[in-house]
Amino acid sequence: MRVFKASCIVFPLALLLGGCAHHTAPAARTFAPRSVAAPAGGIRTLVVTVSADAAAATDDEDAFADDNLDFLNEEENEAPPSVADPLSGWNRAMFTFNDRAYFWVLKPVAKAYKAVAPEPMRVGIKNFFYNLAMPIRLANCLLQGKFKSAGLELERFFINSTVGCAGLGDLSPFYPDLQIPPEDLGQTFGRYGAGEGFYIVWPLLGPSTLRDTLGKIGDIFIDPVTYFNTATIGIGTRAFDTINDTSLRLGDYEAIKESALDPYVSFRNGYIQFRRKQIHE
Amino acid sequence: MIKTFAAFGLVLILAASTPALGQQPTKTPMETLKKPLDEVIAILRDPQYRSKDKRALQRKSIYKVTDRIFDFVEISKRALARNWRIFTPAQRRDFTEVFTTLLKDTYSRKIQGEYTGHEKILYVGHEMLSATKAVVKTKILRESGNIPVDYRMRLRHGRWMVYDIKIEGVGLVQNYRAQFNNFLLNKKPADLIAQLRKKVAKFKDE
Repeated sequence: MRVFKASCIVFPLALLLGGCAHHTAPAARTFAPRSVAAPAGGIRTLVVTVSADAAAATDDEDAFADDNLDFLNEEENEAPPSVADPLSGWNRAMFTFNDRAYFWVLKPVAKAYKAVAPEPMRVGIKNFFYNLAMPIRLANCLLQGKFKSAGLELERFFINSTVGCAGLGDLSPFYPDLQIPPEDLGQTFGRYGAGEGFYIVWPLLGPSTLRDTLGKIGDIFIDPVTYFNTATIGIGTRAFDTINDTSLRLGDYEAIKESALDPYVSFRNGYIQFRRKQIHE
Repeated sequence: MIKTFAAFGLVLILAASTPALGQQPTKTPMETLKKPLDEVIAILRDPQYRSKDKRALQRKSIYKVTDRIFDFVEISKRALARNWRIFTPAQRRDFTEVFTTLLKDTYSRKIQGEYTGHEKILYVGHEMLSATKAVVKTKILRESGNIPVDYRMRLRHGRWMVYDIKIEGVGLVQNYRAQFNNFLLNKKPADLIAQLRKKVAKFKDE
């Protein structure tokens, strides 16, 4: 039931600011320019610049008359994120349920908690739970054959558990090599070519797909929290983790929802894009 | 003798004009992006906007900067994708106007609410996708974790402008495209414009 952690009540909380240092994109060193072709330089640039203002004035008019959609062709390479949604009736109902649960329960609780717990403490708790879940990430690195990442996961765990005081501190910002994207079983399935299946919204656990749901179930077995001495303590721990996480991201869900024309479709698309990125990296 | 003199003169003219040409290189996409983003942060920091009733004024200052760097017509067009063709030029204009307002409004409210004074932007680097397309990779550094933000830019009239943003791998254009596509399955362009106007008007009241 790691599910609680990653997807909270509403996944999108993870979307904007779920950031944590470890979500970060590959660092600069892996960043090789695909083409070094200099953007139009020298004389051409001068000419272009001089005529730019004059062109820009009439250009806006033209832009609205312009039917050219060539960019669609160049995007064909990047598979458009769409997912089967045969359960959309159930899913929309669950989306509404989760929305209410967030505003009526999770948000007030997280706000009250935030008022009494200082931010450094809450960040420490977040780090602690992240560190604790290392076995899930390690196992999935190994399953995907990412041996270097597996080694770095272990190294990070070792450093944060010792120097970082039982995982409360995260030293990875000082060693950017240690900031590796977190792996899970859903991603491992995806890596081996499994499709998403279909989209599904779980009550309280939020957006998922058939593949990711099966992945979460598998991950439960390697999650240390599962082996806390009673189920009640395990669930309580996860609930606390969720509240703690939410307290660090209050306002994110609201912002995404506000900016959307159809929040349900926005979150569905966001979830699929986010997971595809995770599988890709 | 005269020939030599003329040649010398020519060399001088060339020598004088070359640096002038050289001083006008197109700025790299990253440089083009960095300046306005720094300006936005300066506006967020500016103490004259500290009180709550100055928030709207502060947003106006932010818009002035973002208008220079974001190509909202291109963003609107890409978000509509194939549906762009079923919009009349007048509808395209109306749509672009209201969609631009929605984007500017929701995003600037969001950063106004979030900004604590401790956030920094790290410019990771840029990648040329072609001679006129590039991705600039940045990270927002915050105490509670970093957020990767990629800006897709294209060169137009000698200027780099943003036409898409990806936050944590989630692309803005793709996300709206999914919503608009779904909406237009059984509704008309005019309905979409009306719906967006209703949404934007709601913000104005707040």
